Amino acid sequence: MPDQVGHDGKHMTLEEKKQAVIEEFSMYDEWLDKYEYLIELGKALEAYPEEEKTEDKLIKGCQSRVWLDYELKDGKLFFRADSDAIITKGIISLLLSVYSGRTPEEIAADDFGFVDAIGLRENLSPTRANGLVSMIETIKSAAREMADQARHDDNGEMADQVGHDDSVIPGSTRNPEDGVLTAEDVAALQPLYADVILALKQVYDPEIPVNIYDLGLIYELNIDKERKVSILMTFTAPNCPMADEVMHEVEESVKRVPGVTGCHIELTFEPVWDRSMLSEEARVDLGLDYEEDDYGKLND
Amino acid sequence: MKPEEIRSQFPALGQTVYGKPLVYLDNAATAQRPWAVLDKERQLASTVNGNIHRAVHKLAVDATEEYEKTRDAVRDFLNAGSREEIVFTSGTTMSINLVASCFGEAFIGEGDEVIVSVAEHHSNIVPWQLLCQRKKATLKVLDVDEFGGLQVDTLEKLISQRTKIVAISHISNVLGLVNPVSEIIQIAHAHDIPVLVDGAQGSIHEKVDVKAMDCDFYAFSGHKVYGATGTGVLYGKKKWLDAMPPYMGGGEMIETVRFSRTTFAPVPGKFEAGTQNFNAVPTLQEALQLARRFQEDVEVAQNEYAITQFLLDTLTADSRIHLVGVPRGTQVKVPLFSFTVEGAHHEDIALILDKMGIAVRSGQMCAEPLMDRFGVTGMLRVSFAPYNTMEEAEYFVKCLNKAIAMLV
Repeated sequence: MPDQVGHDGKHMTLEEKKQAVIEEFSMYDEWLDKYEYLIELGKALEAYPEEEKTEDKLIKGCQSRVWLDYELKDGKLFFRADSDAIITKGIISLLLSVYSGRTPEEIAADDFGFVDAIGLRENLSPTRANGLVSMIETIKSAAREMADQARHDDNGEMADQVGHDDSVIPGSTRNPEDGVLTAEDVAALQPLYADVILALKQVYDPEIPVNIYDLGLIYELNIDKERKVSILMTFTAPNCPMADEVMHEVEESVKRVPGVTGCHIELTFEPVWDRSMLSEEARVDLGLDYEEDDYGKLND
Repeated sequence: MKPEEIRSQFPALGQTVYGKPLVYLDNAATAQRPWAVLDKERQLASTVNGNIHRAVHKLAVDATEEYEKTRDAVRDFLNAGSREEIVFTSGTTMSINLVASCFGEAFIGEGDEVIVSVAEHHSNIVPWQLLCQRKKATLKVLDVDEFGGLQVDTLEKLISQRTKIVAISHISNVLGLVNPVSEIIQIAHAHDIPVLVDGAQGSIHEKVDVKAMDCDFYAFSGHKVYGATGTGVLYGKKKWLDAMPPYMGGGEMIETVRFSRTTFAPVPGKFEAGTQNFNAVPTLQEALQLARRFQEDVEVAQNEYAITQFLLDTLTADSRIHLVGVPRGTQVKVPLFSFTVEGAHHEDIALILDKMGIAVRSGQMCAEPLMDRFGVTGMLRVSFAPYNTMEEAEYFVKCLNKAIAMLV
């Protein structure tokens, strides 16, 4: 695995490392050259033991299969991954070289925008249920969860403010009667969070062709030890005539997730939803350049 | 017709992707559409856009006429006995779901059996699985041999007193071999078992004659035979369609509606509930006319045969490549090739070919049971249409070799 030590021998920060990857990629004009480079990286990726390619580590995609495992060591998240497709494996190597060995907080706060910067998302997202996209999601949610857990441990209190970057910090819990989740609990609930988020992504806003999760309508998502889901959500406008129907759809969709024992939804308009809550994916889907403030039309 | 002449009728073929001329070899997924079809849909949408079968005004009457004229065109295309036997659907998937649901409702009960083959598209597996779950019936599977040929000689053994229907593809979307459907139908009919033929690929490559074939149902999609997307056909023998309950309830499929009791329109109206895809369906007139011309044209047949032979020879001669669906004896192979490459993942190859301008299919091709049968997670597929040239086939082979060299 490429390490994070720069040529001068100093440890590169996340930003520096991302910049280095973007620069490396910009040297290749042709897609085939980019692929050659990724294939090289893929072939060089540290071996992932065959016997550890278990079903629970598998992130299923339609075409290539990706296995991903992670552990927290000395406050840093280390990832290990593999794929049966070599280009995907090269991209994995790239992702791991950037993110593995960083603190969960750093990763959770990152927008993974460099994947777009090197043109990979554009190149890969059309493939249905692509294993790579799911892998990025898994890295993100693992980091968020660990970060939240760490904050939890530090403060001895629950986090109640959710970041605006990507709507939800799984694992944040508001209900004191739930008790404090142990690290084991968090780890055990991790796959369920991913499933619930997937279920939320099946529900679409009645007016904007983006799912409610990427739209940033979900302010909080908590799963307690009894595997009851509580959701704090909002709508793009307070007088949304479809609110009841959408909330019902959310409830139905979440309840259908295997393992979920119940679902409670609370509606809030504090803070009021605005365009900054759109996820990266939603911006891409809507064809918005988030440098420009032109999402006003969404609320029309 | 030479491929070069044909190409000029298909605007999408003239484009470049990533700066390379497009080589479109994913025709089994969807075919490109000719101007005649594109113009027709636009013309209908911009002129005779009235809801069919309902109103008495000019637009509605003209739209209805276009729509019903299409039913005659489809009847001709399939050589069906009557226009009442032609039901318009959204595609092959809906056609098969309709039969699984409605035939199943009327004729399949607990302990009954349905036979499909291992080489079916998910669209000809899952509807039957759902039906079997609902009715506590059993799904039985006809296997293929190591070359991909259907083991028709084992069909007799699979059939029992409880077998109610056999659902089989005319041509598998992975193997590209023309199945001996007539033989299968004869065997099934000898036991009074009806047969549904999934014609999604068959309608492209074979001159279908449902009377001669004697199938009970034949399903196909418009978009694979150069028509508009969202169009499809279910042919069903009238005796079955009459005996089946409606699929969906709604407008125009009824005769009289009372809360005490509703009676249904005669076939095919009974199965066409709600507003139909009336701007798109009439494109089948142009599309099927063209498809039939292709099927009857000598030059098209020669070009197709040359490409098929070239690829069969090239792909089977390469020891790194494992081709499934290899014709044996009198089996007919259509220009559709699925294969795996030793040491190279299908997705990697497809990504590289894409950047060389070549559109191919990779993955399970909606036929996971068949992938399992051959012990692979996916394959690469190239499928040719009459507008594809021998030069494109040669360019594909060259690029495939380059991709393999990059990967292995």
